Amino acid sequence: MIALGPRTLFVKEVRRFLRVPGQTLLSPVITTVLYLVVFGFALGGSMRQVHDVPYVTYIVPGLIMLGVISNSFLNTSSSFFMMKMQETIVDLLISPLTHVQIVGAMVAAATVRAAMVGALTWAVAAIAQREAAIPHPLYAIAFPLLTSIGFAALGLLTAIWAEKFEQVNFVPTFVITPLTFLGGVFYDVQRLPGFFATLSHFNPILYVVDGMRYALIGSSSVDPLVGLGFLVVFDAVSIAICIQVLRVGWKLRS
Amino acid sequence: MEATRPVVEIDHLSKRYGALTALEDANLDIREGEIFALLGPNGAGKTTMIGCVAGLVVPTRGTARVLGHDVQRDYRFTRRAVGLVPQEINYDPFFTVEEILRFQAGYFGVRLSDEKLEELLRAMDLTAKRRSGTRALSGGMKRRLLIAKALVHDPKVLFLDEPTAGVDVELRRDLWSYVRRLRERGTTIVLTTHYLEEAEELADRIGMIDRGRILLVEEKRKLLERFGQKSLHVALAEPVHALPPALAGRGARLLEGGCAIEVVQPAHEELGPVLREVLGAGLHVRDVETRRSALEDIYVRLLAEHGRQP
Repeated sequence: MIALGPRTLFVKEVRRFLRVPGQTLLSPVITTVLYLVVFGFALGGSMRQVHDVPYVTYIVPGLIMLGVISNSFLNTSSSFFMMKMQETIVDLLISPLTHVQIVGAMVAAATVRAAMVGALTWAVAAIAQREAAIPHPLYAIAFPLLTSIGFAALGLLTAIWAEKFEQVNFVPTFVITPLTFLGGVFYDVQRLPGFFATLSHFNPILYVVDGMRYALIGSSSVDPLVGLGFLVVFDAVSIAICIQVLRVGWKLRS
Repeated sequence: MEATRPVVEIDHLSKRYGALTALEDANLDIREGEIFALLGPNGAGKTTMIGCVAGLVVPTRGTARVLGHDVQRDYRFTRRAVGLVPQEINYDPFFTVEEILRFQAGYFGVRLSDEKLEELLRAMDLTAKRRSGTRALSGGMKRRLLIAKALVHDPKVLFLDEPTAGVDVELRRDLWSYVRRLRERGTTIVLTTHYLEEAEELADRIGMIDRGRILLVEEKRKLLERFGQKSLHVALAEPVHALPPALAGRGARLLEGGCAIEVVQPAHEELGPVLREVLGAGLHVRDVETRRSALEDIYVRLLAEHGRQP
C-alpha cells in the first residue's frame, strides 16, 4: 500500500497530462503515424524487406520507443520545470514527502504517459498492418517500462538543472532526438559502413530499440538481455542521482 | 504570567549566501498560541528565517526546532506541524481551487474532509470559485487560496510571509480578523511584515530584524509603553498669548497662533494632571485629542540607532 502523500503527487501528475490529451497523447501518436506513412508506405517501404519482415513492420518498434522516450522525458521535465517557474515547487518542498517519494511519484506518472503513448502507437500500427501478434510479450512490456523510468528521471534532472525553457529543450533536441534517429529506428545499423556501425554500438538507444524489435518481431542484432541489463543500470543510476540531488537541495533549496 | 513552552526554537541560526550574510546568529523562541510579528526592511532576513524553519532554506549554522524536533533531522514531523504562506503568489493553472486544496492536503498525508474543505472555502471567501481554474482568480483570491493551502493540514504554527503585500484595505481587514480567529483556535502565528500597522494591530510580541540580526524581541504592549510617547493636543476656544507656568514646566508648546497647546509625555504617565492644569488656568477648551506614538516611531528610532534608514 503506497502512502497517501506520494499517491497524491502521482495522481496529480497523471491528471495533469490527461487534462491536455491532445498535446500529451494524441500529438505524439500522430507524429508516429506520419513517420509510418511516409517511411513505411509512401517511400516504397511496403515493398522492401529487412530481416525477413516488411520495412514498415521493422520500423514500428523503433517508433514506439521514440514515443516512449520523448514522452517520459517530457512529462517530468515540463511538469517539474513549470512547478519551478510558477513557484508551486514550494508546495512540495515544505511537505513531509521524502525525496524518494517525490522522485517515485513523478517518474511513475511519466511512465504511465509513456505506456499510453506506446500502446496507442502500437495499436495504430497493428491496425494499419492488420497484424497484432507479439512474439515476446514480456520483453514488450519490460523494454518500454524500463526505458521510460530512466528517461523520466533524466527529465526530472534536466528540469531541476534548467533555469530557462530553452535549457529544458536542450536535452531532447541535442541528445535524445539525434541518438534516437541514429539508434536504428529506421535502419539496421549493421548495414552502415564499418566505422559508423561500430560507433553506433556506443549509442545506448540502439539497445533499447533493438530490444523492442526483438519483443515485437522476434529478431534483433544484439542480445535483448544486454539491452535489459543496460536499462537496469541506466535506471538505477539516474534514479539515484535524482534522489541525491533532491536530498542535497541543489537548485531547489537555498 | 505563566510561561508557555516554545513552539519554535531558533538557536544560533546563520545563513550565508557567498559573501552575503542573510541571517547572523539569530536566537528566537515562538511561544504557543501567540501572534509574533517579525519586522524589518526588505532584505533584512525575515524570509530566510522562516525558510529555515519551513524547509526551504538550509542554514549555514545553528538549528531550528519545531515542537522540540529538529527541522532537518525530523523534517517529516516538523513539516506536518508547520504551515507556510509564501510571499510570492503561486498557482497551478491546470487545476481548480478544490483540486489544489485536496492535493495539498494529500502531500501532507491528510485526506481533506468535505467539512474541512467547505470551512476553508468559506473562511477564505472562495466557495463560489471552488470549481474555477486558478487562472480565473483575482490577485486577492489567489492570495487567499495560498492561505487556505497552508491550513489544509491544521498546522500547529502558521508562518505568513508578508501576507498583505499588495492586498487591498478590505481584504487586509478580513485577513486580520481570520488570523485572530485562528489564534483563538490555538494556532500559533508568525508573520513577517513591513507594514507597521499590521504588527501593531495583530501582534502579541514583536521582533525587529535588520541585516540578518535580531535587534529586539519584546511584547508589543511593553514595547509601546517603554519606548512610546503620548501627546495631548488641546484646542482652545480663545487664543492665549502665553502658556500658564505649570504647563510650561511640563514642556508644553503653544501652537496655531495660541489656539492650541500640545504636551508630549511618556506613554505610561497619566494625562489627567495636565488637563486639570489647563482647566485650572481658566482656559476654554474646545476639543481634546490624544495620540500614542505608534510602533512606526519606535521602529524608525530603533533603526536609526543602528545607523539605518528604514
